[in-house]
Order: sequence, then structure tokens, then C-alpha cells
Amino acid sequence: MTTASEHQMEQAFNQTGDHRRSERISRETISAIAVAILCVAMLLGARFISPSLGSWSQVETVLVLGSFLIVLSFGQGLVILTGGLDLSLPAVITLGGILATNWVGATDPGAWYLLGAVLLVCAGVGLVSAIGIVWLHIPPFIMTLAMSIIVSSALLGYTRGTPRGAAPDLALALMKSKVLGMPMPILFVIGFVILGALFQSRSVPGRYLYAIGTNIHAARIAGVPVLLVQAMPYVISAVCAGLVGIMLVGYSNGATLRMGDDYLLPSIAAVVIGGSSILGGRGNFLGTVGGALLLTTLGTIITAIGLQIGWRTIIEGAVVLIALLLLREELFQKLGQYWRSSQPASESGSITRRKGT
Amino acid sequence: MSLSTSSVLPRHSTPMANAFKRFVQGGSLILVTYLALYAVYGVLEPRALQPYAIAALMNNTAPLALAAAGLTLVVINRGFDLSLAGVISICNVVLATMPMDGPGGALLSVLLCILIGGFIGAVNGVLVGWFGLQSIAATLATMIICQGIALVILDAPGGYVAEWIVYELTDRLWGIIPVSGLVVAAVVCLWLIVRRTRFGISLYAIGADEQAAALSGVNVIRVRFGAYLLAGALYGLAGFMLSAQTATGNPTSGAPLLLLSFAAVALGGTSLAGGSGGLFATVIGAATLTLLQKVLFSAGVSSFYTGMFQGIVLILAVVFSVTMSRIGARQ
Repeated sequence: MTTASEHQMEQAFNQTGDHRRSERISRETISAIAVAILCVAMLLGARFISPSLGSWSQVETVLVLGSFLIVLSFGQGLVILTGGLDLSLPAVITLGGILATNWVGATDPGAWYLLGAVLLVCAGVGLVSAIGIVWLHIPPFIMTLAMSIIVSSALLGYTRGTPRGAAPDLALALMKSKVLGMPMPILFVIGFVILGALFQSRSVPGRYLYAIGTNIHAARIAGVPVLLVQAMPYVISAVCAGLVGIMLVGYSNGATLRMGDDYLLPSIAAVVIGGSSILGGRGNFLGTVGGALLLTTLGTIITAIGLQIGWRTIIEGAVVLIALLLLREELFQKLGQYWRSSQPASESGSITRRKGT
Repeated sequence: MSLSTSSVLPRHSTPMANAFKRFVQGGSLILVTYLALYAVYGVLEPRALQPYAIAALMNNTAPLALAAAGLTLVVINRGFDLSLAGVISICNVVLATMPMDGPGGALLSVLLCILIGGFIGAVNGVLVGWFGLQSIAATLATMIICQGIALVILDAPGGYVAEWIVYELTDRLWGIIPVSGLVVAAVVCLWLIVRRTRFGISLYAIGADEQAAALSGVNVIRVRFGAYLLAGALYGLAGFMLSAQTATGNPTSGAPLLLLSFAAVALGGTSLAGGSGGLFATVIGAATLTLLQKVLFSAGVSSFYTGMFQGIVLILAVVFSVTMSRIGARQ
């Protein structure tokens, strides 16, 4: 099967030049736009079900609830971009949340430093995962799974089963305050999305991630510091998870030992719905943001309708499945072929070969 | 000797390294580990060798062992299967909401569980085999859907599993042989037959090199479908045994087994890259994880920290087998 497609690719290359870059961008843009349209359509369509839905306040709710998933799936997306998977996210979320309530008092003046220390501990967990994966060659799936078991068990022992403490003021300010009538978490997440998207698709380390996710051998030959770049996403992912822990503490004013459990599968689902390949090397953050918002919108609408949690879960799973079936490779190849055949030959031949510059 | 071998077959390792590889992947290493751990357990807890203690251990092990055994089939085939948590949860809530008593009821129940598991396995097989979806993504979707179905059937823990199942399947035959152990042994024996068949050999061939297998005439799609189907059936059986042990229904009962199953597969020396490993080693890997809990408990370690030890053992096991295979490849 692969040989056949390679042959096709070779033919296409010989005839019309290298289209892979342009095709990849169109594929990701298509899925990001489709997901965004679906989100808006669902919010507007919800008005027909109940007049309280589809209002601006519901949009605010979706954005606030979605902020957790957006921050989390940024890290997960970077890990998936390199062909890995981070299963330790729920444990690290809980770690961030519990340390935030335990170390930082409610009215601590030095909360800035202490919350920084919390994130540093989370980064340490990510670094241990990275060391195991990159230098000891443990498969990412197994290493992050083991770290997840170890961290949650350590937390269970540390808290003796019952976490105490209240949310630090800083976390409350992040999640509960309003600036110019806009809820703070929405402004925060907008800033996060802009920075995250720029980092992933425009910065040098971000491009390195694509390079090693596409072909690690080629990346090594091209001079990418492969080991460091492979390690980086696990540390970033752990910091994001710790941040989500702090945000959740600010939102619900307390930490529990299971606060991260419900976020692992959605974090992977958001990345997949956003059009990233689970094999790595493909995907962009805006698509992932769309995926996260789609899942959150779906969740709030289903909750508002009053369906029980089981049906909500089934619908979420079905959405993931439909996204997977629609985002299949052949479908995009066909679309790409159709698009190309409708273009004049001279124009398609002039598309640059910017790869590798 | 080693020179000639390596010059003839440059990609293969020396006989010694091969023998070692067989030692790790054939399950001997994990078996030795298990026996050593059992010896420690015997010293810490003198009653450990009594038939009832062995039976209790077997009962605890059986669900994890069966689930991990099913997962092994998929992993050999170079796939991932997350749906096991969902299948086990569905079987558990079905048995708790529709208890069928007596031996006939038990037979119907076990068939129902295998049917449910087989059906979900078939769906996975179609998605991965025919539609060519990534196994981890496709089974993630089926797992979420299955968890939802389990919640629809039973939205909170409760219900009762039929008494006959609860008592007979956790009992001992003639006061010695644990029934749950027999079920696991039967599955392992069945596997030893299956792995010699065309299907079994194709399974390994696809995991090692899918293209080469397809070129040598293996029907990749059909074999892959078969692997997910059988794996699903084994998850169903695992759900049945879990229900026999817990005697009640819980819509999320399968979730804790998911990560532990992957740990058991890795402990058994099955490579996540596919093409090697076996069911027997996985079953012993699962048994080691369960035994570790008991040993830590009897050594006075707070049960809070069990997970830390399990995680560290998992990392050590994988580092060990990765290092050994690299040394073997270098020789």
C-alpha cells in the first residue's frame, strides 16, 4: 500500500513539482475552518432547542470551560507532533492543583514565586519522562504511563488521601476576575492561543518539532538537535498540565485527587479532531483549539438539554470517530487531486520548493 | 562463530543474544522474577502457600491477566487497543443488571460477554483494518463510546452479579485448583495452539514487517481484523471474571485495568513496536503486578505507595529489555 502511494507521490513530484507543503497547509486549514464553522453552527442551532442557549453568556461559558482543555491540548499536541503521547497529564494536573493549594496560602504575598515553583516541579516531572524517553529509549506511551502511576501514588501518600487547603488569590484572580467586562480567563486563553500558535508554527523550535515528527533521520542529518527537541514537548506539556491544575483550583476553589482524570481523553481527542496526525509531523494549534472548543460546546449543549452523562460520552466518542473518518489520508489526497486538476498547469508548476530552507 | 553469523546475517544478532532475547520474550525472565517475588511473599507471609491464599491471588489476577492477554494480540500486530476498558465496563454492568443464576445462566452470561467483546473488537477491526485508521485513535473513540454505553446501562455503581457466578468462579476444584486459574490456563493453552496456525504466524509477520507480510501473501486486513476480534472476546471474558470477583456492577470498573494491562504487556517483554512477545509472558507479567501489591502490603508499605512501586518496576523492566536488546544488537 505504501509503495503504491510512494509511487504516486513520485509521479506527482515529477510532473508538477513538490506539492506536499501546500497540500499539508490546505488539509489543516480545511479541518480548522470546518471545526470552527461547526462550533458556531452548533451554538446558533442550540437556540432552537432552548432560548437560553446560543446567547453571549453561553459563549462565555464555553470559552471559560474550554480554556482548560485548550491549554492542556497545546502540550499534548506538541508531544503528538513528535509522534509521542503524554498519558501523565491527569497526574500532573492533580500535582499542580494540590501543590498550589498546599504550598501557597490564600493570601500569600509571595504567591508569584510559589506558583512558579509549582510549575517548576511539574516541569521536573516532564523532564524525568523526557529523560526516560529520549535517553533511555523507553516508548513514550510506557514512560508517561509509568510517571502517571508514580505521581498519582506519590500524591495519594503526600495528602494521605484527603487534600487540604484553599485556592491562592492569584489563581482565583486568574479565573474569576473581569477586565473591561471580559472574564479574565478568556483574555488569558486568547493570549495563550496567539503565543502558542506562533510558537508551534513560526518559531525555530516549533519547526524543529515538525521536522523530527516527519522524519527523524532526515532531521538529524539536517542539523536539528534531535535529542533536545524530542525532550522539549514533554517538559512543555507538563508545565501546561500544571498550569491547568492551578487554573482548575482557581475555578473550583480547591483541589481533589481525581481533578485531572476527566481531561486525558479529551486532550487527545481535541488534537485528533483538530486535524493532527496521531503519527506525528502534522497538525496545527488553531485546529486543536477548534477541536477543544467543539468538544466543550458539545458538552455544554448536551448538559443544557439534560441528557444523562452516558449519552454525552457516547456523542463525544462518535464525534471523535466521525472526525477520524473524515480526516483520512485518501480523502485529502482525492480533494488535493481535484483541486490541482482544476488549477492551470503553469500556475501549479510555479509553486516554490521552499522545503529545507 | 559470532563473526561468521554476523557476516552472513548482518541484521541478526549472535546466538547468545538470540538466546537471551528468547529468555526475555519467551517469558522465562518474568517467570523467574515472579517466582523470586513469590518466595519473598512466602517469607513475609507464611500462609502464602496455602491453597486459599493462592486461589485469592489467582482471583485477583485473572481479570487483569485476561485483559492484558487480549491486548497482547493487538500489540504483537503492532497496534494499540484502548477499548479494553470500555468492553470490561459494559460486560460488568450487563452482568450486574441482568443476573442469570445457575450453571445455565453462567454459560449464557459468559457467552454474552464474549459476544459483546467480540462485536466491539470487530468494530475496531473494521476501523483499523478496512478504513486504515490509526489504532490508538480509533480505539480511543470506541473506548469513549463504550464508556458512555456502560453509563447508560447503569449510571451509578450498584446491582448484583448472579450468585452462582460469584461463588463458583472464585472457588477451588477439589479444594486445591482455583477455577479462575483454570480459565486463564485454558486461554494460554488455546493461544499455544493458535500461534502455530497460519493465523498466528501471520500475526507476528504483520507486526514485524507489514509490507513484507503482505508481499508474501498474508491477508493483512483479515488477520488484523481477527486480532481485534479475538482481543475483544478476551476483554469480554476479563469483564466476566471481574464481575465474578467484585459481585457488583460499576460503570467505570474497566478504567483501572487499562493502564495496568499495558504495564503487564510491557513487563512480559512484548515489544510495543510489534512482531514479538507472547500471551504467556503477559499473563505472568499481570500476575507479577498483582503479586507486587500483596508483597508490599505484607511488607507494611502503605497502600498509597503501591503505584510508585508498580511504576518503577515497569520502567526498570522496559529499560532492562531495551538495554539488553541493544547490547545484543551490538555484539
